[in-house]
Amino acid sequence: MRRFARRVWALAAKEVRHVLRDPRTLYLALGMPVVMLLLFGYGVSFDLEHLPVAFVDLDRSASSRALRRRFTANDQLDDAGTLATTAEAERTLVAGEAIAALVIPEGFEADLRRGRDVDLQLLLDGADNNSAVQAQAKAETAARVLGLSLATRVAGDASPPIATRSWTRFNPESRSAVFLVPGITAYVLAIVAVLLTALTVSREWERGSMAQLFATPVGRLEIVLGKLLPYLVLGTLVVLLVLAVGTWVFDVPFRGSPFALAVLSVLFIAGMLGQGLLVSVVARNQMVATQVATLSSMLPSMLLSGFVFPIQNMPQVLQWITVVIPARYFVEGLRGVLLRGNDLSLLWPQAAALTAFALVMVVASTARFRRTIA
Amino acid sequence: MSERVIEVRGLRKQFGGFVAVRDVSFHVEKGEIFGYLGANGAGKSTTIRMLCGLLPPTAGRATVAGHDVTDAPHRVKSSIGYMSQKFSLYLDLTAAHNLEFFGGIYGLRGKALRRATDAVVERTGLDEHRGATTGALPGGIRQRLALACALIHEPRIVFLDEPTAGVDPASRRDFWRLIRELARDGTTVFVTTHYMDEAEYCARIGLMVDGALVALDTPDALKARFVPGESLAVEGRALHLGTDAVRALPRVLAAEPFGARLHVRFEDGHTDREAMERCLRAAGARVDRVEPVEASLEDVFLAVVGGAAEEAA
Repeated sequence: MRRFARRVWALAAKEVRHVLRDPRTLYLALGMPVVMLLLFGYGVSFDLEHLPVAFVDLDRSASSRALRRRFTANDQLDDAGTLATTAEAERTLVAGEAIAALVIPEGFEADLRRGRDVDLQLLLDGADNNSAVQAQAKAETAARVLGLSLATRVAGDASPPIATRSWTRFNPESRSAVFLVPGITAYVLAIVAVLLTALTVSREWERGSMAQLFATPVGRLEIVLGKLLPYLVLGTLVVLLVLAVGTWVFDVPFRGSPFALAVLSVLFIAGMLGQGLLVSVVARNQMVATQVATLSSMLPSMLLSGFVFPIQNMPQVLQWITVVIPARYFVEGLRGVLLRGNDLSLLWPQAAALTAFALVMVVASTARFRRTIA
Repeated sequence: MSERVIEVRGLRKQFGGFVAVRDVSFHVEKGEIFGYLGANGAGKSTTIRMLCGLLPPTAGRATVAGHDVTDAPHRVKSSIGYMSQKFSLYLDLTAAHNLEFFGGIYGLRGKALRRATDAVVERTGLDEHRGATTGALPGGIRQRLALACALIHEPRIVFLDEPTAGVDPASRRDFWRLIRELARDGTTVFVTTHYMDEAEYCARIGLMVDGALVALDTPDALKARFVPGESLAVEGRALHLGTDAVRALPRVLAAEPFGARLHVRFEDGHTDREAMERCLRAAGARVDRVEPVEASLEDVFLAVVGGAAEEAA
């Protein structure tokens, strides 16, 4: 057992030396996630600003003008002009000159004064669904601030106007960064972690040093652990860095248990490093290993983790597949800890799933490691 | 009676239908330099890999340092040092890092590791290169470093697979001085090579042809057996004109061009220099100098490989 620990230690120390003597690994591990987070955080935003909204002001009162100013006070909605009738508003939407039109009914000011309920009507361009939903959310927020309810009708849609009252908890401003940063974190960590180990083992195969290692009393599990542990430490640093950037640059809240975050992060990284090892053990060649590692980490953690596409909206078959995608549990865990303020008493199923994945990866790469060389 | 540290009986390795090593049997004694000679692909490396516990034999048994290579490869690995054909240290690390790493792998650390490192660095004369990046070291020094890494745990046996391939002659000579010192101090050295001049340093030599061990003995005994008789080396001009005629002379065993010279071998005690010179001149060649030469292992190798080829045909 002592010899086992010593050999693992020797392997880990050697791995650390490799990293310290070739800072490119550090650039890859620390720089790439931050760059990707910034690119995604700023680039892939579902937030839309300056949505053109036209107004049909049938009241023409001081209150209606105040309402209008209120709607366009920030940069989210822009005033696209005044229209005389609802029919004209519909034409504007059809022409694509505005994404939405707000109809302020006659008697708006009078009703307000008498303390009656006032219903505003919002017409939306359903052709650009994402913008329409955003405009609706923003209009609703603005209306709610004024204590008004909003009736929405999608242009060209036969359904009657529906008064919606929604309240988005945990992300009241519906900022997509808050929602995306946990997903991006899982995504970039998955790629970086898998790449780190995928290259280290295949490099040893290519250089012939693996053959030399096999002539020593080193065991397969010792090699796997010796490769895993140093990168686990590095990976944990990457998590801290990415979350620090996420909270500072993108104002993502951190409401939950730091311990839960640490546990989930370490488990997730262990699993992804294990996946990289498995790729490396099977591929034996740096070129193949890089490609397999990138594809096998990028696609599932992007498409099947719930980062971009909600899992409950996927076809049933894909939903089953997501059960074995570790990024799914990490995204759930991160959203839980960061946004909902959860701790492990709620997130233990995610922790358990990540543990299982990490163990399977370590066992599989150890088992696939052939000590013999032909 | 001397101690047998390697004992091989009927060792065989088959890859599919291809027999890489064909039922080989031999033993190596403690402190011996045992040379393994053969052309590329003759099965030298495969044999070494089986003896190091890297490759399980298809049939036969081998014990190394008292451990069976099939049943206890782990124990075998702990008691041997191995230097592979391809240079396989970490080029991005310094010489000292490599030594420290291999020491750690064999369970050394702290003071014991430092002592072992110092000892092996002194033995291989690497002190001034300790801090140098391995990739920046010249070939000869790299080979010494690889040897140092294989020796760090003071193994009883070292396996060197073509240790001097691609190294300049001066470095090769230094390297062999190290190997002889090692053997003198009691370490058993099992070495493969295709340099015939190096093979002369070995106490005993095994000759491999197509996976089979066709001869095994001391260099002198091999020469006496495969290249018997006395040889003369002839210098001159147009010697090739008379080669066939010389071969036809009685008591002449062989006449082979050797570089610019002609080597003529007679049966023991029947060297007839006059007859040979007459014969050459009659054929139109000019003879400038004639001197006796020792048979070399190269002659042995050519004789053995030629003999094996004839048997096969």
